[in-house]
Amino acid sequence: MLDFINPYYLQIGSFILINILLAVSVYVPLSSGQLSLGSAGFMGIGAYTSALLTINFDLPIFLGVLAGACLAGILGIIVGLPSLRLTGVYLAIATLGLGEVIRVIFVNWESLTRGSIGLTGVPQIGRELLNLVRGFGFEPSMIGLKNNQFVFLLVFILLFLIVLATIWFVVRQQNSRVGRSFSSIQMDEKAAESMGINIMYFKVLSFAQGAFLAGLAGALFAHVMGYISPSDFSYHRAVEILIFTVFGGSEVIIGSVFGAIFLTLMPELLRFVSEYRYIIYGIMLVILMAVRPQGILDIHLLGRFKGIKRSKGGMR
Amino acid sequence: MLLEQLINGITLGSIYAIVALGFTLVFGVLGIINMAHGEIFMVGAFVGVMTTGVLGWPLWLAFAASIVVTSILGYLLERMTLRPLRGKKGVSHLAPLISTIGVSILLENLSHHIFGAGNKPFRTEFAEISIEIGQVTVYIVQIVIFAISIILMIGLSIWLSKTKAGKALRATAENLETASILGVDTKKIITLTVIIASAMGGIAGILVGMAFNSVSPQMGLAIGLKGLAIIILGGMGNVKGAMVGGLLLGLSETFLVAYGDSGYRDAIAFIMIILILLLRPQGIFGSKMAEGR
Amino acid sequence: MVLDIKNVSKNFGGIHALKNVSFSIKQGEIYGLIGPNGAGKTTMFNLITNIFEPSSGDIIFDSQTITGLKSHKITEKGICRTYQNIRLFSQMTALKNVMVGGHSRSSSGVFSSVFRTKKQREEEIQLNQKAEDLLELVGLLEHKDTLAENLAYGQQRRLEIARAMASNPKLLLLDEPAAGMNEKETDSLYDLIKMIQSKGITVLIIEHDMPLVMKLCDRITVLNFGEKLAEGTPTEIQNNEAVIEAYLGKEEEYESA
Repeated sequence: MLDFINPYYLQIGSFILINILLAVSVYVPLSSGQLSLGSAGFMGIGAYTSALLTINFDLPIFLGVLAGACLAGILGIIVGLPSLRLTGVYLAIATLGLGEVIRVIFVNWESLTRGSIGLTGVPQIGRELLNLVRGFGFEPSMIGLKNNQFVFLLVFILLFLIVLATIWFVVRQQNSRVGRSFSSIQMDEKAAESMGINIMYFKVLSFAQGAFLAGLAGALFAHVMGYISPSDFSYHRAVEILIFTVFGGSEVIIGSVFGAIFLTLMPELLRFVSEYRYIIYGIMLVILMAVRPQGILDIHLLGRFKGIKRSKGGMR
Repeated sequence: MLLEQLINGITLGSIYAIVALGFTLVFGVLGIINMAHGEIFMVGAFVGVMTTGVLGWPLWLAFAASIVVTSILGYLLERMTLRPLRGKKGVSHLAPLISTIGVSILLENLSHHIFGAGNKPFRTEFAEISIEIGQVTVYIVQIVIFAISIILMIGLSIWLSKTKAGKALRATAENLETASILGVDTKKIITLTVIIASAMGGIAGILVGMAFNSVSPQMGLAIGLKGLAIIILGGMGNVKGAMVGGLLLGLSETFLVAYGDSGYRDAIAFIMIILILLLRPQGIFGSKMAEGR
Repeated sequence: MVLDIKNVSKNFGGIHALKNVSFSIKQGEIYGLIGPNGAGKTTMFNLITNIFEPSSGDIIFDSQTITGLKSHKITEKGICRTYQNIRLFSQMTALKNVMVGGHSRSSSGVFSSVFRTKKQREEEIQLNQKAEDLLELVGLLEHKDTLAENLAYGQQRRLEIARAMASNPKLLLLDEPAAGMNEKETDSLYDLIKMIQSKGITVLIIEHDMPLVMKLCDRITVLNFGEKLAEGTPTEIQNNEAVIEAYLGKEEEYESA
């Protein structure tokens, strides 16, 4: 019974959810016109901070994750302030460079990070949650689940709630004075400023929010995986995250969600041609950009869906 | 030995400069960053390994083969990934970035598939030959690399400033619309630019293979990222900046390895660009290709 | 005086865009700034809104020096502008454009926006209402959900005015609002600006459409090659020898060009 609660599927589901957080961490700065490739670096900061705090100081995971995300956010503010003078590709490369510098520090600060081997034995969220519910006298077998099924299920549900809360936050923020400021800066920075918008504040705000989200995702990643190493936060990761957002459609948040889901699943679906899957991935990106450079989902497409729903398939 | 390190640094730096020139030409004319440049360069290196190692061709023929292959790649890149995006409505500056990243993923994994993951040695008949000048040991390879880089840089500068095609390229870099009004066939110039940049990548690939005596599918990324850092350092689209930036990076890396912590070698490039972006965002040499030459 | 321009100069790399220009605008006036192309009119706007800082001189608004104040602070003080080459937020609806204009007169931050506090909800309703009122004023209410980029040229110009008005300016700067408008549109623009004046808002306008300027403005300053050539009422300006010469000289150039 309940065999459909398959740890393998739940694990993939959890990765998808973490990837959605990462995609949103690129989406938010992009919504104020800033292309950041620093997500992998901020993710690493979050992951290492939380892992080290929980391993070395027995901090509860919850606090570790919060600390990791906050530190990434603070770094985002520190980096965001001077980076504001940079636009477009300059900012992209500077943030990419920042990510590389962070990664190299992880590799070389061996006394703290154990170098390229990475950290093992990071406390896992699932076990912690299991212990917690057991504290209330609950056993997974009471609802007919095996322990590991239950653990993966809990992790998935927790991540799902976090993703939901994040999307709720971003969408609410978007439909408000803050969100309007972001998009006006994205569309015309000078005009936005002459409308009384403090562009410095809002640009740093969106950049730091992105950094915070990436740090949060990184910290969660550490406690879901149980081990981390610098190569988890490399250039490849930065590019992967960017592609989630751009592939899905960078104009709308649902694009990031879709991109993360689709592109996390795709390598799994392409397992039968696993040797060629990255080759196919590369070709797919080229074709997509040629055919639909704004990404799969955009405002017009969504508008059409809404229109169809409203008029029940009639006119649009 | 200070002098030896200086020679090592200049050798490394001149290779970096050639890689950076490939980036800078494309950026100068098209205003985009060709993320696939590193991988084109890697393919060039593999062509060198295959022709000299497996087929036993002489080095000059390997260069020729590499230039031919990377030029074709450059042409395909322009025709199939860059041109479809040009002048299309609603294309943001993200699109060519992603598109060329797609090509880089494709090429890296294709090479991985064909040549395997490991390092391939790059043997030249004079790899071990060195000459002693006083107490300084100089390898012939270093002299060859340096000479080829210098010839390439001088050749490019002359070509840009003296020939008709070179002038057309500069005009296009300055302003695409104006150039096309003045009768420059900008489509042809753009294609030519991407091909030249790629061919330079091919040459750089062989030079790196010779310098490090190893070639791998991942080298495109490692060197490509440094090339990116250099063009920021020297000023985007600036030919002189790419050369100076390349040398600067090569020297700093060599000296850090010799006298400091070698672990941070790969971070220098980025620490340098983060500093330069904060102090002088337009790079050491202005911002326009046409200005700083 | 609402605005006092005192001996303002601006050099760009040795070129004098403005040389020692002074004028003052009274409360409730419509004040014209005219002159041939390149005379430094838009530069003056850019100095008032501090897109550039003046090389020397002072700009005094509401008896406070605003020289060197950040652009967004100047908007908060009560100066807002439009642009010669329309700068709307093209991918936003007309309504949202105007709501962005109200940014400096609202205060909701991240927290109150996300949690939709009572104050935030009231503020949004007010902003929305105000934006709709302003769209009605400029005759664009029926297009409130149209993306700015899809509006006709004349509509975009009027939307820009509505957006600037949303910041409750005491002084409104209009940079060639009639450019590209036909006669009918220009007439309704005249009515609009008069209406704005009747709300007690002072207007500083750059315009090439001379009949409009002469009909609209209470007083005018003429700039030529960065220097003040003349100041006075429309009648005085029309009869000023130096002005006539500058304009006629220019016009010949236009024709030959």
